[in-house]
Amino acid sequence: MTTATRRTTELGLLVLGTMFVVGAYLLATLPADSQIPTTVGPFLGIIVGLPLLAHVAVRRLAPRADGMLLPLASLLNGLGYVFIVRLDEGQPSGPEGLAGLQSVWMILGVGAFIATLVIVRDVRLLERYRYTAGFVGLVLLLLPLLPIVGRTINGSRIWVSFGPVNFQPGEFAKLALAVFFAGYLVEKRELLAINRSFGPLALPDPKHLGPVLIAWGVALVVMVLEKDLGSSLLFFTLFLVLIWVATERASYLAVGVLLFAGGGYVAFNAFSHVQERFDTWLDPWGKDKGYQVVQAAFAFADGGLAGRGLNLGVPYKIPVVESDMIFAAVGEELGMVGAASVLVAFLLMIGAGLRIAQQSSDGFERLLATGLTTLLGFQAFIIMAGVVRLLPLTGVTLPFVSYGGSSLLANWVLLALLLRISDRSALREAERAAAGQLTQIGG
Amino acid sequence: MSKQVRNLGVFLAICYAALFVQVNRLTFFEAESLRAQPENVRTVERDFSSPRGSIISADGQVLAQSVPSDDRFRFQREYPTGGLFGHITGYFAFELGTTGVEDSYNGFLTGDDIGFDINQLDDLFVDRDVVGDVTLSMRHDVQEVARDALGEQEGSVVALDPRTGEIIAMWSFPSYDPTALASHDFDAAEATSDLLNADPEHPTRSRAFSEREFPGSTFKVVTATAGIERGGVTADNPSYPVSDSYQPPRGGRPIPNFGGASCGGTLFTILQQSCNTAFAQMGVDTGGDELQETAQGFGFDRDVPLDLPGAVQSTFPAAVVDDPPTLAQASIGQNEVQATPLQMAMVAAGVANDGEIMTPHVMREIRDDQGNLVEEFDAEVWARPMSPDTAGLLRDAMVSVVTDGSASRLDEGLDGFVVGGKTGTAQLGTPEPRSHAWIIGFAGPSGETPHVAVAVVVEGQPGASEQTGGRVAAPIAAAVMQRALAAPERTDEADGDPGSGG
Repeated sequence: MTTATRRTTELGLLVLGTMFVVGAYLLATLPADSQIPTTVGPFLGIIVGLPLLAHVAVRRLAPRADGMLLPLASLLNGLGYVFIVRLDEGQPSGPEGLAGLQSVWMILGVGAFIATLVIVRDVRLLERYRYTAGFVGLVLLLLPLLPIVGRTINGSRIWVSFGPVNFQPGEFAKLALAVFFAGYLVEKRELLAINRSFGPLALPDPKHLGPVLIAWGVALVVMVLEKDLGSSLLFFTLFLVLIWVATERASYLAVGVLLFAGGGYVAFNAFSHVQERFDTWLDPWGKDKGYQVVQAAFAFADGGLAGRGLNLGVPYKIPVVESDMIFAAVGEELGMVGAASVLVAFLLMIGAGLRIAQQSSDGFERLLATGLTTLLGFQAFIIMAGVVRLLPLTGVTLPFVSYGGSSLLANWVLLALLLRISDRSALREAERAAAGQLTQIGG
Repeated sequence: MSKQVRNLGVFLAICYAALFVQVNRLTFFEAESLRAQPENVRTVERDFSSPRGSIISADGQVLAQSVPSDDRFRFQREYPTGGLFGHITGYFAFELGTTGVEDSYNGFLTGDDIGFDINQLDDLFVDRDVVGDVTLSMRHDVQEVARDALGEQEGSVVALDPRTGEIIAMWSFPSYDPTALASHDFDAAEATSDLLNADPEHPTRSRAFSEREFPGSTFKVVTATAGIERGGVTADNPSYPVSDSYQPPRGGRPIPNFGGASCGGTLFTILQQSCNTAFAQMGVDTGGDELQETAQGFGFDRDVPLDLPGAVQSTFPAAVVDDPPTLAQASIGQNEVQATPLQMAMVAAGVANDGEIMTPHVMREIRDDQGNLVEEFDAEVWARPMSPDTAGLLRDAMVSVVTDGSASRLDEGLDGFVVGGKTGTAQLGTPEPRSHAWIIGFAGPSGETPHVAVAVVVEGQPGASEQTGGRVAAPIAAAVMQRALAAPERTDEADGDPGSGG
C-alpha cells in the first residue's frame, strides 16, 4: 500500500468515525426542546478538530504508518467523550465538570501523541535506554507506595498527587516497562531460549528464571500492597507474552501461569481484599461489594439488543460509571450492538498492532509493538470482562473510552509509538524495494 | 517469533469472543431474569419517572392519572375517585407493587406495548413520550349508585352487560383509597398498607371477584339448567311432589324447606317459591355428573378470564358424583358450593344472553395520547352452559320469580323493562341465625336481550328466612339496574367545560 492510500484511508475512516461521534454527541446533548446548546461549539471542536489535527500530524511525521489505528482510537475516544458529557450533564449528584476536564485531557493526549511522533523519530533509540526505562518503570510503579505523595482512592493505592494534580503513574509505568522488556529480551533471547530437560519436561534453565521471578515479585507487590489486581495481571501478562514471543518457548508461559496461580492462591488465602474480589465475582447478588457488577448487569439487561438510546438510560446508578464501568453505560444506552462495536474496534486495533509487529524486520520493534498491543488489548479485555463478570472486577480503565487523564495520555503515547514503528518498517521496506530495483537494474 | 505473535492474536480474539458471548448473555439470554431480580429497581424507577396514561370510566370520569411532581420522581399517581374504584384501578406504588388495571394494562399505560409509528422525520427528534389511556367499560355513575345502595354493609354488587361481557359496575364494601399507597413517602405508604392488611375485613381485596361466598338458592338457576338440558325437565313436567322435606337416596339428612313449609309443583312454581325439596330431587334425578358438568359449563372450577389480577375460581364439590346426599345439598347451593359474586352475575348473564356467557372484562379501549385507537376489547363467548331454548325457558321462569315470586322487589323503578331474577339466602350456621342475602337478575327493554345482568350479595344479615334475599338485596340490584339502563351522564371534563371565551 502506498503512502498516499494509507493516509487517504485514514482520513476517510476518520471522517466516518467522526460523523458517528458528532451524531451521538448531538443526540446525547440536545435537550427535549430541541434547542442547540450554546456550549456545542467548543465540544464539536474537540471531537472534530482533535482527530483531524492528529491526522495532519501523522501525514507530516509518520506518512507511511498504518491507517487504521488513529481512526479507531479517535472513534473510541469520541464515544467515551460523548458518554462522559452525557453522564456529567445527566447526573443528579456527583462530581461536576468531568466533561470539561476530559476535553483538556483529550487535548493533552493528542498533544502527547504529536510530541511523541516528533521526539521519537525511531523507536530503536529507546532500545538504548532500556535499563533506564526499566528503572523509571519500576519507580513509577512503586511511587504510590511512598508516603506523602501516595494516595489511596477507591481502595487502590495507585495514585500519586503533587499539589492539586492526581495521576496514576502505573499507566506510564506500563509503557516504560514495555520498552524495558522488549530491549532486555531482544538482548537475552538466545540465552533465555536454552531449555534443559527435566525428564520428559523441557523447562528453561533455572538460572535464567531470575527475570521471571523478579517480574513475578513486582506483580505480587503491586497486587498486595497497591491492591491493584488489574495492573498486576496486566504487567505480568505483558512480561510473559514478551518472553514467550522472544524465546519462542511455551514453557515460559507454563511456568509463568503456574507462578501467578500459586501467588494468586497464597494472596487469596492471606489477604481479605483478594478473597472478597473472588467471592463477589462468583456470587455478587445481595453483597455490598457486588453492587457494581450487579448494577452493570442490570444496565446490560436494560439495554437489550439496541439499547435504550443515548441519554435515555439511568447509567449513573452504576458506581464509577464514568471510568472503570463505562462499558456498562455503553451496553445500557447503545445495547448489545454498541457494546459489540466497542469490542470490534478493540479487536481491529489489536489486529492492526500485531500486523505492525509482524511487518517489522527489527527484533526490538517487533517485541515493542507486540508488547504495546498486548497492553492495549489485554487491558481493555480485563476491564470489560470484569464489567460483564467474565473475570473478577479489577480496577483498570478502558483505554481511550474511560474518563481519566493518566490513562488517556499514556494510551495516546502508546498509539504514537505503534504508528512510529509502522512508519519505520514501511519506510525500510520501501528503501529495500528501491534498492532491490536498483540492484536488478545494475545487474 | 511470528508464529507466537499470530498465536497471541488468536488468544486475544478468543478472549474477545468470550466477551461477546457474555455481553449477549446479559443483554439477551439472561435479560428477562435480570430485570425480574428484586434488587433491580431500574424498571420501576423508570416507570415512576415517566408519564403514565390515565384510567377513565366509560362515562368520562378520570379514575387514575399522573400529575407532575418535583420530588424524587417526576410524576405522582392520583386517584380522584378515592376508594370508589380502588379494587378496579388498583394502585401503582413503588415498594408495594402494582395491582388492578394499573397492573394488567401496565404496558399500555407506560406506552411500552404501544407501537410507535414514525410518521414524520420530526418524530425522531422530538422527545415525545407515548402513553396509553385506558377507558373502562365501567360507569362512574352506576358504581356510585352501587356504593350508595349497598351502604356500609359488607357485600358486593356486580353489574355487567350480558351481550358483551363488559362490566358496568363492580363494587364491594369495604374498599380502600389507593392514593395513600401510591405516595412517594414510602414509609407512610407502607404504614397505610400494614394497616389495611391488618384489617380482618381485607379492604384491599375485592369481595366481588377475589372472595367466594355460599350462593344459596341463586344456585338453583344452575340446577334448573342441568334439569332442562340433561334431566328432561320442561315447563310442565315433572311436577315435584308438595312436601316439607326430601330424603335423598342412600341416607343422609333429609333436606327441609325454609321454615318447614311445604312446596312443590312444576318448574316455574318451584323457582318462584325457591323450593328446596323440589330442586334437591331435580338435582338427584338429573345426576351428579350432569350437575357438575353444567356447573363447570357456567364457569365453576375454572379460572375466570377477567382482565384484573386476583380473580379466584368458584368451586363446585366433586363429591356430588357418587354421593347422593351431597348432590341433594349441592343442588340447592349448599354443601361446598362457593361462588364469587362475579360468577353469579355471569350465571344470570348466561340465561339472559341466549345461553352464552361472554368473557367478562373491565377494559373497553385504549387510545394513545393522540387519540388513536391502540387496543379494544372484542366481545367473545367464554362459556355456553345451555342451548338458546333452555335459556329462553329459564328467562321466562326467572321473570316469573319477579312477577309472582320471591324477587318481587327487583323491578322497583324499572317500569317498562322486562326484569328477571332469583333470590338466595345462604344460612351461615351461626348460633344466632345469620345469612348472606343474595339476588341475581337481569333487565332490559321488552323483546331484546337484557342489557344488564347483576349479582348482589349482602353478607351476614340477621335472620335466615328465604325472604331475606328478596328484601335486602333486591332493592340494591334494582337501583343499580335502573341507573345502568339509563343513558350515562357524561362527566367528561372536556365536554363539561362551560363557555370558555364566551
